[in-house]
Amino acid sequence: MSPLRPRRAAAAVAPPAPEPADWETPELAPVPRFGHGSRVPGWDEAVDLTKDPAVVPDPATTPVPEELRRTIEAAMARYPDPHSASIPALHAAQGVHGWCSPEAIEQVAAVMRVTPAYLTSVATFYDMLVTRPKGPHDVFVCTNISCSLRGADALYEAMLVAAEEDDDITVRSFECLGACDIAPMASVDGSYVGPLETADAKRIVEDLQAGRAVLEDKQLRRRPSADPGARGE
Amino acid sequence: MPRPEPKIIQLTIDGREVRAPEGEMLVEAARLGDIEIPYFCFERKLGKPVGACRMCLVEIEGIPKLQTSCSTPVKDGMVVHTQTQRVRGAQNAIVEFLLVNHPLDCPVCDKGGECPLQDITFGWGAGRSRFIEPKRHFVKPLALSPLVAIDRERCILCYRCVRFSQEIAEDYQLIFAERGADTFVATHDGHPYVAPFSGNIIELCPVGALTSQPYRFRARPWDNEAGGGVCTLCPAQCNVSFTVRDEKVMRVLAREHPEVDDGWLCDKGRFAYQAIHVDERITAPMVREAGELRPASWERALEVATGLAGHRGRVGALVGGGASNEEGYQLTRLVREGLTSGDIDSRAAGPVPPALARAAAAPPLQATVPDLEFAHTVLVVGCEPQEDAPILDLRIRKGVRRHGVKLAVATARPSALDPNAKLTVRLDPGGETAFLAGLADELGGDGGGELARLLRDGGQDVVIVWGERIGADALPHLLRVADLLGLGARDGAGLLEIPASANGRGLREAGVLPDAGPGYSSLPAELEGRAAAEMAAAAAEGKVTAFYLFETDPVRDLPDRPRWERALEAASLVVSHASVLTEGIREHADVVFPAESYAEKEGTVVHPDGRLQRLRIAIAQPDDVRAGWWVIGELGRRIGHDLDVATAPAAFAQLVAAVPFYAGLTLEELGGRGLRWPARAEASAFPAPASPPAAPSAPAPATAPPPGPVAEDEPAAAVPPPGPVAGPVSEGARAAASTRAPGGAPAPERAPASARGAPADGAFRLGIHRPLWASPTVEISPALKFAIARQHAELSPADAQRLGLTTGETVEVASNGTAVKATVAVHSGIPAGTVFLADGLAEDSANVFTVSEVEVRKP
Amino acid sequence: MKKILFDRIDEPGLNTLAVYERRGGYGALRKALKLTREQVLDELLTSGIRGRGGAGFQMGRKISFLPKGDMDKYLVCNADESEPGTFKDRELMQKSPHMLIEGIIIAAYAGGIDRSFIYIRGEYDYQADILEAAIEEARAAGYIGERILGSEHSLSLVLHRGAGAYICGEETGLLDSLEGKRGNPRLKPPFPAVEGLYDSPTLINNVETLSTVPHIIRMGGDEYAKIGTETSTGTKLVSVSGDVKRPGNYEVELGIPSREIIYGLAGGPFDGRKIKLWFPGGSSAPVLTADDLDVPYDFDSMAKAGSMLGSGAIIVVDDSHTVLEVATKLAKFYAHESCGKCVPCREGTNWTVKMLARIDSGEATPMDLDIMASVQTQIIGNCLCVLGDAMAMPIGSMIEKYRPELEAHIEAARERAGSGALGDVVPLGVADEHAGPMPVH
Repeated sequence: MSPLRPRRAAAAVAPPAPEPADWETPELAPVPRFGHGSRVPGWDEAVDLTKDPAVVPDPATTPVPEELRRTIEAAMARYPDPHSASIPALHAAQGVHGWCSPEAIEQVAAVMRVTPAYLTSVATFYDMLVTRPKGPHDVFVCTNISCSLRGADALYEAMLVAAEEDDDITVRSFECLGACDIAPMASVDGSYVGPLETADAKRIVEDLQAGRAVLEDKQLRRRPSADPGARGE
Repeated sequence: MPRPEPKIIQLTIDGREVRAPEGEMLVEAARLGDIEIPYFCFERKLGKPVGACRMCLVEIEGIPKLQTSCSTPVKDGMVVHTQTQRVRGAQNAIVEFLLVNHPLDCPVCDKGGECPLQDITFGWGAGRSRFIEPKRHFVKPLALSPLVAIDRERCILCYRCVRFSQEIAEDYQLIFAERGADTFVATHDGHPYVAPFSGNIIELCPVGALTSQPYRFRARPWDNEAGGGVCTLCPAQCNVSFTVRDEKVMRVLAREHPEVDDGWLCDKGRFAYQAIHVDERITAPMVREAGELRPASWERALEVATGLAGHRGRVGALVGGGASNEEGYQLTRLVREGLTSGDIDSRAAGPVPPALARAAAAPPLQATVPDLEFAHTVLVVGCEPQEDAPILDLRIRKGVRRHGVKLAVATARPSALDPNAKLTVRLDPGGETAFLAGLADELGGDGGGELARLLRDGGQDVVIVWGERIGADALPHLLRVADLLGLGARDGAGLLEIPASANGRGLREAGVLPDAGPGYSSLPAELEGRAAAEMAAAAAEGKVTAFYLFETDPVRDLPDRPRWERALEAASLVVSHASVLTEGIREHADVVFPAESYAEKEGTVVHPDGRLQRLRIAIAQPDDVRAGWWVIGELGRRIGHDLDVATAPAAFAQLVAAVPFYAGLTLEELGGRGLRWPARAEASAFPAPASPPAAPSAPAPATAPPPGPVAEDEPAAAVPPPGPVAGPVSEGARAAASTRAPGGAPAPERAPASARGAPADGAFRLGIHRPLWASPTVEISPALKFAIARQHAELSPADAQRLGLTTGETVEVASNGTAVKATVAVHSGIPAGTVFLADGLAEDSANVFTVSEVEVRKP
Repeated sequence: MKKILFDRIDEPGLNTLAVYERRGGYGALRKALKLTREQVLDELLTSGIRGRGGAGFQMGRKISFLPKGDMDKYLVCNADESEPGTFKDRELMQKSPHMLIEGIIIAAYAGGIDRSFIYIRGEYDYQADILEAAIEEARAAGYIGERILGSEHSLSLVLHRGAGAYICGEETGLLDSLEGKRGNPRLKPPFPAVEGLYDSPTLINNVETLSTVPHIIRMGGDEYAKIGTETSTGTKLVSVSGDVKRPGNYEVELGIPSREIIYGLAGGPFDGRKIKLWFPGGSSAPVLTADDLDVPYDFDSMAKAGSMLGSGAIIVVDDSHTVLEVATKLAKFYAHESCGKCVPCREGTNWTVKMLARIDSGEATPMDLDIMASVQTQIIGNCLCVLGDAMAMPIGSMIEKYRPELEAHIEAARERAGSGALGDVVPLGVADEHAGPMPVH
């Protein structure tokens, strides 16, 4: 199966720490994705026999930004089994590094005392943890059934076009985001907006570029309930 | 811990009444009734079922949905159908689904002919597929490691390999990445899957997705024969099956023995067979002529070796761990009777007074391998199972993971088992004696530290795994600990020694010791001789003038390499059996007889837990290799002392006659599974110290005993007897033990490394370990070239920082003008002030040092 | 109808403790703590409330399956609302987080549980922030923590954010995910009530179910049971979406005619459009047709009609859309969200996607519909969890109920692609007899 529609190159985000040799190419490879937005995995990749096996990273040789370490340790302390912190920890590392880079994963592994492979297997399972470089802004366009009945596919195309020039914005089609009442909708950096028209795609990009709240008038959080009883009627 | 004693219940499968242990998974119970249920993901050895492949669905009366028989424990009266239309439909469906993406490249697939997917498709598939879309195609095969190739098209995502990595070996390097149909077997960021047990995934794979790089395309199953054998590359002595084609070993597979290896092999055991068929192996006799070893006829080689007769009384013999019991016993006869020398030794880790050796090997005190799995507490002292007997490492992990065994690790070097341990005690290098003495004192009192409380109160079944290298000084304390914990009195408790060489235990029992005869019997004073180190010293003084080196190279294998170089140089005749020209042999041997490999040898060996196992002939000896027992016998005849051995079974019969506690054993009885002699009634013939014991009055020897005769009764008095009736250890002995402890009180608790401080002047304590891969066999195995152990100087982060060193730099570790080159490896677990080096290497090995303190410097 | 969950839920500031308490919030907890655990459980049993997450299992019975005794026990609130078409929990958590928290505390008390988690899907960032603030408030006020309100009951509550995987809504997938692993469903048995989170007995309930608990305690189980039908008691939040005029969440009494929800509350289809098909309980429910609009909206009636109430999400599809479009969307979704653990789901969902694509590309024959239908039956009941069934049931129902439309689609697509008329195609089965056992690609 080849990628049905390999898309645009994802944005280049420079992680704060110096990049290891494997990642020094400034031109980041395009993120191969299937038409429905999921990553094309690395089936065709062999291992690099010159590397050492990826064992639990030694804290002595794996520096971790202090704040990230504290966040991860705090997450670990919340659970009876510290392994439960893998998702919050990876999420935090993604925030620091821009994506779940091998380096980010190794840092989490060093704090959690697990192998990087354990975290890689977790990170690649979940859609919101991204193991390829991406831009700092995420636009998830819901293209599942309820949104698609109301034009989500056209919206998604429009969104791709609108964000084409901006490497800071990563547009992905997403499975049901749980807001079919504002279909078609999108989640822009975590905040839900809808119902959207194709023209809104451009506004979303503009709002992101201007650094202001996205589509103030279409924010889900301001929307009253559809049920008359919710207003005491 | 009480082991499960399953109740036998009866159930009905396809109308047949089947009796099975209650709680057994249905898929296994069915097999007891000769009913085969197909499956892919299930594998008993991997523990809990995952139910992923859905191939084993069956109908159980009373349950509306089909159930996976791999995850359904059988109950009395259960009625199961595996042949109904509904079940057949499900089976056909699963096969059809699996073949949606599995390529039908069976003609060029290594697994073809021994492939469960092939067999199950034939047996349970519908025989046709309705899938007409193109299958997925990936680049294949790809390297997963230097040893394993991966074909992701063929992978059916059965979970076996990743479960092995995650739940058996616990290296957690092999994972599933991505999700759904995109899921694939991967490692982190393209790192190779290199781990001590990685090869097991090849055997686990039910399709041709994971194949052995060295075996790929070398043979088809129908070309092959299988030969059962025992791997003697380390003391774990795993049972193996040699895949043989045209008298060549093509690969090594596990021959599952639940009481030895649990069906797993380490990568050394799985791949080092390659050393059997390489040019570097010595396959014909060699004789030194004009300063160089040259191939020679057997007649010529034997003639030169017969020169030993001219050194009667001055021959030193060293026997390596690859030797069988029979070879060892014949050698003792050749040396003691034929060459009238008492200087014979098989211990690589220094001498142990016979009384102590006997006490430590006493049958009631011996734990078994399965005991590791069911003990309440396991204490690992002074050894690294993953390096010294790798398969025991897996067994200890299994106990912790599945049966809640509490593990304590007391070692100088951080252990691979540390993460599984409830309690970790970091000792100073060589600190085992002090540690055990302190522990015994604590156990003797009421209080004690965490470890003492764990051992005393954590349940009665305690197994102590200890390495021979802890040394004789530590033994009295170890025995005292065992006695205080009453380990001799309980079946599931005891000591399990990891000898320093593969058949170390068997050779001792055969009497390959300077101070004991077969079965640890006392020797007449005139037959007592020198231990290895003393032979080297005696050689320098001209008291030993010839050496017989049987499958060992002391320059490589024993401590104090410079002394051995001098000793061999000084000797006027060095006769050796070897398969590789290691440095000592290459430089000093006058005659080299080609040694048999473990696939060629016929004889017996003894597992660390006392199990006699048979080495059987899997392949004919290549070229001009001849059996070890024959060579020894022939030498005997030529020096005028006929050992009267015409066949290998005859050699076994002689051994059995000589060792009282082997009495009556036959090869048939040993069979393919071996037999633990300590469990036989004849074990009572073991020469244990008489009970009741004399009150311990003499302190145990603080240093190695002086060479020469040692009367049997003297040190025995210092040794607490094994068994339930042990008397209390006197205050005097305890005081003696603790005051003898160097550095005062030991540190049985987790002590911060910095608290101990570093030796003066920036010197480092030297710790030594033997990597799994440090062996000539590995060095000449083509597939294992990547794994050859190199010298690393393992340093603590603090020391590395102080010296301005980082991982990967080259340093010199030196003392008194002796230096080795090493690559720095910084590890948080290393205590400050200590540097660890590897021993057993071809170059820059740690055995050049004879001191315990070294300096580390940039070159 | 008097609203229970949605009663003035739009009131500003209801997400704060002050407003919630002013409206009588945490009163049910005070009442419950004066009762014994058994009495509270009794109320829940009497209420007859069935789980609102999808399976519809009786909540009180679920609690009663927990082993008694002094061991670690957990309560996990399933807030991983990701069934397509479902968004009711989102509104509850956003607007009345304390109602959920109060429900969790009471349910934990009934089950003798002292540790609890809310597993919220990672996409619900805003709702998670609100919940986190509410949990802090509740902790500060002594509703969470040691010896709650001076009683013997103690409870910890941790909010855990997921990271985007539909399968984590499946209770055992959720547990694995909460343990920090990939969210693969587990084999059942053992059921979570016996061996759940960290191998300990675990009670897992949906947000809506737990949010109802304070009301049951407040009203009394008897009173609650009077609402709805005999086997489907109480009210239900229904998320209506798709081709309707007023999509949104509506609280209804179980048992009212579905038409009343779709037309009465949600405004019915757009003008000039007719309802072609609708999903009564999320995208995993077998589809119903316009003829089924009068089926009462409750657990048993829906089951009798051949579908299910599921998560209570009605998705309406009007006649401007083709069945193939809907089926393809669904199949791709399930293929994308299949965890990949078990064979029938992993391979079956992907095979179905490929077959549906074949229809549109003009390469299919009606025979392919038979194969597709057969593949769906090969999935149903053979999987590790219900995700495979969740695709196979609606797809199977669409092939069954809309075959003529799909066949017409095949014809038209063939014509478009120039694949030749159907009459010229040799039936697959006939060709197969002579084609050898297995086609090789």
